[in-house]
Amino acid sequence: MASPLEHYVNTVRTMSAAGNFRDLVEYLNESVELLTRNINILDNVLETLDKQNHSLGFLYVIATKLNEIQQNEDPEPILKLVKEFVTLCNGEQVRNAPQNYFDLFHNYTNLLVKRKLNTTQGIPILTIAIEKIQLMESQLTPLHADLCQLCLCSKIFKPALHFLDIDITTIASSEEHQDATTKYFLLYYYYGGMVYTAVKNYDRALYFFEVAISTPATAMSHIMLESYKKYILVSLILRGKQITIPKYSPQVITRFIKPLSQHYHELSNVYINNGSPDAVRSVMTKYQETFIRDNNMGLVKQVLSTLYKKKIQRLTKTFLTLSLSDVASRASLSGPAEAEKYILNMIKSGEIFAVINQKDGMVIFHDDPEKYNTPNMYLKIQEDMNKVIELNKKITKMEEKIMLTPMFVKKSTLPESAVDDKGYPSEACE
Amino acid sequence: MPLQPAPQNVIEPMQVDAQPEDNKNNEEENYIVEDPSLDLESYANSYTGLARLYRLIYIADHCPTLRLEALKMAINYVMSTTYNVNMYQLLHKKLADLHSASAPQSSSLPDVASQSGNSLDIPPYDSVWVEQKTKKAALKLEKLDNDLKNSKSNSIKESIRRGHDDLGDHYLSCGELSNALKCYSRARDYCTSGRHVVNMCLNVIKVSIYLQNWSHVLSYVSKAECTPEFSEAQNRDQNQTSTRLKCAAGLAELASKKYKLAAKHFLLANLDHCDFPEMISCNNIAIYGGLCALATFDRQELQKNVISSASFKLFLELEPQIRDIVFKFYESKYAQCLKLLDEMRDNLLLDLFIAPHVNKLYTQIRNRALIQYFSPYLSADMRKMSEAFNCSVGALENEIMQLILDGQIQARIDSHNKILYAKNADQRSSTFEKAINVGKEFQRRTRMLILRTAMLKNHIHVKVQTRERQEEILMPSGSNRN
Repeated sequence: MASPLEHYVNTVRTMSAAGNFRDLVEYLNESVELLTRNINILDNVLETLDKQNHSLGFLYVIATKLNEIQQNEDPEPILKLVKEFVTLCNGEQVRNAPQNYFDLFHNYTNLLVKRKLNTTQGIPILTIAIEKIQLMESQLTPLHADLCQLCLCSKIFKPALHFLDIDITTIASSEEHQDATTKYFLLYYYYGGMVYTAVKNYDRALYFFEVAISTPATAMSHIMLESYKKYILVSLILRGKQITIPKYSPQVITRFIKPLSQHYHELSNVYINNGSPDAVRSVMTKYQETFIRDNNMGLVKQVLSTLYKKKIQRLTKTFLTLSLSDVASRASLSGPAEAEKYILNMIKSGEIFAVINQKDGMVIFHDDPEKYNTPNMYLKIQEDMNKVIELNKKITKMEEKIMLTPMFVKKSTLPESAVDDKGYPSEACE
Repeated sequence: MPLQPAPQNVIEPMQVDAQPEDNKNNEEENYIVEDPSLDLESYANSYTGLARLYRLIYIADHCPTLRLEALKMAINYVMSTTYNVNMYQLLHKKLADLHSASAPQSSSLPDVASQSGNSLDIPPYDSVWVEQKTKKAALKLEKLDNDLKNSKSNSIKESIRRGHDDLGDHYLSCGELSNALKCYSRARDYCTSGRHVVNMCLNVIKVSIYLQNWSHVLSYVSKAECTPEFSEAQNRDQNQTSTRLKCAAGLAELASKKYKLAAKHFLLANLDHCDFPEMISCNNIAIYGGLCALATFDRQELQKNVISSASFKLFLELEPQIRDIVFKFYESKYAQCLKLLDEMRDNLLLDLFIAPHVNKLYTQIRNRALIQYFSPYLSADMRKMSEAFNCSVGALENEIMQLILDGQIQARIDSHNKILYAKNADQRSSTFEKAINVGKEFQRRTRMLILRTAMLKNHIHVKVQTRERQEEILMPSGSNRN
């Protein structure tokens, strides 16, 4: 009875030692069924394998174990196993079976989230898991999405931000699992957007949601739908208007997703055209159910409060001094006290520059004190310029790469038989 | 007795103020003007044909005090000069409505009835006239039709053209505008000289104005101006057509709210050759041109094109009120200027063409005045300013705020001391700010581009098969309720 498993252990050992990982993966894929059948005695197998030297064999066993975990089974031992595995496993080896690796951690994340376990413990594990499988820092793996999800669940955003702040340039994907890749790609940008929204970095959040909704699509994805709703809200908060979606966005957005987010459109129309907080509030209560169901009520409330802020900001453009009661009436706030609160907060967060004179109840608005003549500003501009130059170089490199692909050369020269396409084809001929 | 009209009078001026504001959006159709200082008789006499009828109807619709008189004049005019049976019926119906509307009032208030009821003195419906005219019109139509057929069979181009024109005139007289338009434009194929073409264009323009088909008017104006003979000839006749074309173009531009272009067209009109009462009167040209110019021209343009324009001066003499307004405006006496404008308002609201634009033009003129008033100052006392503009400081503050937000005045308001300070835009800072923003936007876009190439390279693509995804989307609850 134990003999097939013994054979499994032996094969893993010999092949790992020989470094013949490709064949090993093939063998392992065939033996998944065997492992599933012997689910009860897999612990014995694990004891005989070394996590570092036999990472692939180990991976398949714990993946199977995690896959087959029973509803009422105590999750602790397997969680511990995963933790040990991720710290010790050999990245080189597991990269030969990336999909199984990803699945292991997807299942792991699901286990934590679905069983409402302590999600915080998963964050460092996913962080290590990502770092092990990544080829470079700017590579997106499906595990990024899981990490963001765990961070959102446990409301600890820093570990996720560490990854989110890096701009993605390549994507880890496997040919046969494109659907999964797409799903986790969308999820990453959706969750990422949410993380940024949570830490109030709306600019970045908007960028993430925009990526999610401009992903090529021929069918509607619910991830995109939810991203679109949040995109509308965040753009209202950030810019005070509805930004037009990028031209290259797929048709599904206009055809299916827009009609499904009518309530959000109505909110933004009222926000932009009417501009009175009462009208926005009435739309809010009218569609309260939808907003609560979509878990967007918090954002909607923020939209409302930005409306007041926008109004106050407009006042700074036109007034030098204004009494608090005037501010209240012009920004349709309830009274001088509320106006004072808003202005105080806005001064604190640097949204406006003003001084409140409590004796007369006046607000004195100032210009932006930034005169762009400090060394710090100079440094900042320098940095920005460097970034731009860096980006430009990257683009040029990418362009050159494309120009050197035989396919491109063929296509670009074919229609005009005369080859004088800026001299590039000649280089490509080599 | 005297008690009765008194409360009405109290309410009425308020309506004038309130109504136009409410209807700013829906084309301002339903306002009512209560006490215009208009001499209906002479007003009507400066127009002929449908222009007179339309204007009278417009007045009747918007001014209850003049309604009866206007309708009676219109009916008389229809009966005496046209075959327009439909118009007669329409007018008579309006008159009957007016009568029935006042009837219940008369029953409840006999005192008033004895006065107003009798004075109504409605001309009875003249069915004989209607029948006669219908018959005559049909006969004339048949005759003209036959003539046209004859000349067609003889294929004499000139008489075919005339036949079409005559037929068009007849249709116009019957009030069948679309048929008239058809006939006039059919004449086009039989035009042999440039003059004929111009003539045809003028006819079409005339009907198009009645139909308020402004794009048509503009295209035919340019057509007429492009005719070779038109641009060459320099005689009196040509001058008249040119003025007529300018006025038509001005009207069309006015209707499409392009006030500056309208003003330019009207300013090119020539009083000596301005004689086409079926379209527009000289007084109209003065008013339309003057107001549009005030609303859209800057100081130099106003000086050059209006005040020192020899030809337009003659027009302004016809409407001393407008002349005073323009001059007061130029002399920066805004309070008087605005007061005069307010006095004119009621009459303007009874004018078919300018009424829908009165509010808009007035605000523009006012804004222009505000901007001009403040332009030489570094700081201005808003209390003095409000005196100069006949309004409260609060209202002025709101107006100025709007202008600042629109970027028309570079200033900031010191609401505490009620002083308006000019603001010097710091070009350097704003340039820096702009540059930084552009840089940010560029970075964002480039990142998106790089990501997108990665996306396409890896065939990230949402395809059908979304079933399972729906479950996955269930997001962690409460994650975003900050």
